Amino acid sequence: MEERIRRVYCPMTETGFYILFCLQEPQHGYGIGQQVKQMTAGKVTISPGTMYGTLSKMENDGLIGFVREEDKRKLYCITAQGREVLELEIKRIERLYKNSQGEWINE
Amino acid sequence: MSEMKIRFFTISDYAEEEAWLRDMHKKGLKLVKMTIPCFYFFEKCEPEDVVYRLDYKNGTENSAYKQMFLDYGWEYFQQCAGWLYFRKPASQMESAEEEEIFSDNESKLDMIGHVIKTRMLPLLVIFFCCVVPQLARVFTVSSPDGSDVFFRVFFCVMFVLYLYLLVHCGLKLKKIRKSLERV
Repeated sequence: MEERIRRVYCPMTETGFYILFCLQEPQHGYGIGQQVKQMTAGKVTISPGTMYGTLSKMENDGLIGFVREEDKRKLYCITAQGREVLELEIKRIERLYKNSQGEWINE
Repeated sequence: MSEMKIRFFTISDYAEEEAWLRDMHKKGLKLVKMTIPCFYFFEKCEPEDVVYRLDYKNGTENSAYKQMFLDYGWEYFQQCAGWLYFRKPASQMESAEEEEIFSDNESKLDMIGHVIKTRMLPLLVIFFCCVVPQLARVFTVSSPDGSDVFFRVFFCVMFVLYLYLLVHCGLKLKKIRKSLERV
């Protein structure tokens, strides 16, 4: 992984994480927003300006790719590089969670 | 029935502009169109609490951009000097978060960065490469027909105007940026 990608996305923002996580399946911006709302019981909102900006950045950085257009909506999906970033992030969150529960990590 | 109002907002006063447009709509005046630098055309309507939001894209937005806002319930109605205007009735909002078009500080900072790069920097370049040298020039040469008086006044006015804009916008954007950045 490029040094710049690692610097920008590890660790990533909550918005970034949810978007990347949802894009394991092809989806458009509003769909991601709805899914995040449902899976967090409304605790996390991603507004359209933020959604658009994050999707554009992630596409430019090769974390997600444009799949197709459907009724003027662009569908995106995670790329191999995006998966790599997501996995690193999930491991980091798991470590945080375990440590927060008083558990120690043995590698 | 339409009504024209004159009001000047600089590139750093978008939050004030949003608040003013919301007030106007509450008074029964719905914005139809805005023309630079300061002309606002309204249409009479039923007074309603409608939230207005401005996004600065300066023509960089792709074809899916407006559809995304539409999906979120925002009506796009006009574009002026790189700014896109959106509105949404407050009655359609389920939570305070829905009032915003940006949900994290990072994206708010990105917008300010974009404004600085494509609006403030050109202003600075015009000021230092055109207004200041011209001002110096008109005060060192004098023409026999008296036209130099006109140009001296003109460039003095330009100088003051640019200086005001640069100082006002520079300080304001810096202040907004500071309030968004993490300590």
